[in-house]
Amino acid sequence: MLAKVTTVAYSGLKGQEVEVEVNIAEKGFPGFSIVGMSGKSGEEAKERIKTALLNSDVEFPNQKITVNLAPADLDKEGSMYDLPIAIGLLFAMGLVTFPKETCLFYGELSLEGTLRHTKGVFLAGLFAKEHKILKIFVPRLSANEACVLEGIQVYPVDSLKSIIRHLNGEKTIEALRNIETENLLIEQQPDFDLSEVMGQEHAKRALEIAASGGHNLLMMGPPGSGKTLLSRCLPGILPELSEKESLEVTKIYSITGNIPPGGSLVRIRPFRSPHHTTSQVGLIGGGSNLRPGEVSLAHRGVLFIDELPELSRSCLEALRQPIEDGQVSISRANGHVTFPAQFMLIAAANPCPCGYLGDPTRECKCSLMQISRYQKKLSGPILDRIDLHLSVPAVDVKKLMESSGQNGEVSMEVRSRVKQARNIQTKRFENSKLNSNSDMRNRDIKVFCKMEQDATNLLQQAVVKYALSARTYFRLIKVSRTIADLEGAENILLKHVAEALQYRVRSE
Amino acid sequence: MKQENFAKGRLGEDMARKYLEKKGYVFVEANHRNYLGEIDLIMIKKQVLNDEIIFVEVKLKIGDDFGSPEEMLSNGKLARVQRIAEAFLVLNKNKFLNFNTRIEAICIVLNADKSISRITHYDQF
Repeated sequence: MLAKVTTVAYSGLKGQEVEVEVNIAEKGFPGFSIVGMSGKSGEEAKERIKTALLNSDVEFPNQKITVNLAPADLDKEGSMYDLPIAIGLLFAMGLVTFPKETCLFYGELSLEGTLRHTKGVFLAGLFAKEHKILKIFVPRLSANEACVLEGIQVYPVDSLKSIIRHLNGEKTIEALRNIETENLLIEQQPDFDLSEVMGQEHAKRALEIAASGGHNLLMMGPPGSGKTLLSRCLPGILPELSEKESLEVTKIYSITGNIPPGGSLVRIRPFRSPHHTTSQVGLIGGGSNLRPGEVSLAHRGVLFIDELPELSRSCLEALRQPIEDGQVSISRANGHVTFPAQFMLIAAANPCPCGYLGDPTRECKCSLMQISRYQKKLSGPILDRIDLHLSVPAVDVKKLMESSGQNGEVSMEVRSRVKQARNIQTKRFENSKLNSNSDMRNRDIKVFCKMEQDATNLLQQAVVKYALSARTYFRLIKVSRTIADLEGAENILLKHVAEALQYRVRSE
Repeated sequence: MKQENFAKGRLGEDMARKYLEKKGYVFVEANHRNYLGEIDLIMIKKQVLNDEIIFVEVKLKIGDDFGSPEEMLSNGKLARVQRIAEAFLVLNKNKFLNFNTRIEAICIVLNADKSISRITHYDQF
């Protein structure tokens, strides 16, 4: 007998319908074969399904079983086809009565017959919503992901046994209630607080500006000056994710399996700190089944790269497109996908290999040759794309020992200012696709950034004197706009440009 | 142990032969061996148009403690039978012209006292 069950496959971040056809032939030599580009995981699914059925008190049929995953030309990677295949088998064996309306089944089986946490449930829910499939059956541990979507009924499944009873009407599984997204997006206490950082007031100010406008930031300084600590404080001063942003981030996190069992929406802004030995594929995305990389995982959040010059050349240069466009397009032999990648790049670097170039207390031991080779690793185009250049000098240890406990503002205070600045921006970009000042294109700058005459004059002088590029010129205006927003000023004033300039022009 | 397995195999092949002869198959050769390996049974089935020459793989199990005989028949084993069968046809070029060829399997399960639990004949793969 032939049975058909609906499930979903992914290409990039988009779902595509997959029909699981299960045929149990009356005649023919017994066997179990799965066709339809299911790869290695399909071969393994056979063993899982067989054992799971046996352990759910179902006798595995000693007949010729053929499973087809259609469309057959679509690559199907992953373990989420276990449940639909098992349900199709049960249906073909006549052990369950199939519901009249289309249902979507999704999930990985354990040998025991229970369902495991499976990645991509959020996207399965999204697919069901788009295609007007009312009911979806997913593992209980992952069901919360889909619950934030309205218009679908999510049935959490514990085990094969419970779903058999449900489909036969013996003991129904209660559909989960929708989770209100607003309740989830609450403020959370940051792990690292700005008040823990001693001194470095100007660095904190730069962080505040970067957070307000979503600007990229490069911190240069000797080892131990607090670069890493400062950047770890950044998530704490960023405004919480809006509902729209949270859904975007959850998509990426769901498909990469980064949502913990029982979790639903991603609430905290992503903070990704890949190690500098990361491969290009790990950073940008790709691989044989086109996975998102670190830049996409940092979407709407922070990508922190410590020891930026140590990053391989190809990785550094590959960062250019996502920084500029806010997305990455990956083309491979087996497909073409675009992942969103709107992140703030926060990078930290030492000024020279030994780290103490320009330090007042310690001597730099590097030769001129070494220093120039080290700094050459950061190509002009990359540096050009970073709005704020900041030097973070070492903190006097004596001062550290004298000052006790709290000093400076706590993250919450800074965050409230950042939020105000962001609110101004949200209002400003209401009718456009932009989110923050850093997203503005040159044409938007002309519309949104009105400058006072003396501010324009100063900027022109700086451009001539320091031979700044056109891109730098526009980036300077964007940073000035953010500083003005932090003050709540309508137009960009002289002092705003002056402050923006000091983060740009390096004094050496 | 080896002797015992050998005897068991013979027993299964005899049972299969009797079973098929009852179904109207004509015996050609048992344990045909050529340079590629061995085929348990070769039979002929008379048809209206072209007669069929049938290569039979016999699997016998005593008790089902170690799984069913069907599970012991892998795709690899089938491919091997097919190769041996092709070699057989080449070696006997003139005898089996215009015959359709087919591979079949007979799975036998015996009880502990050597009485037959079941015989299943698969004429389609």
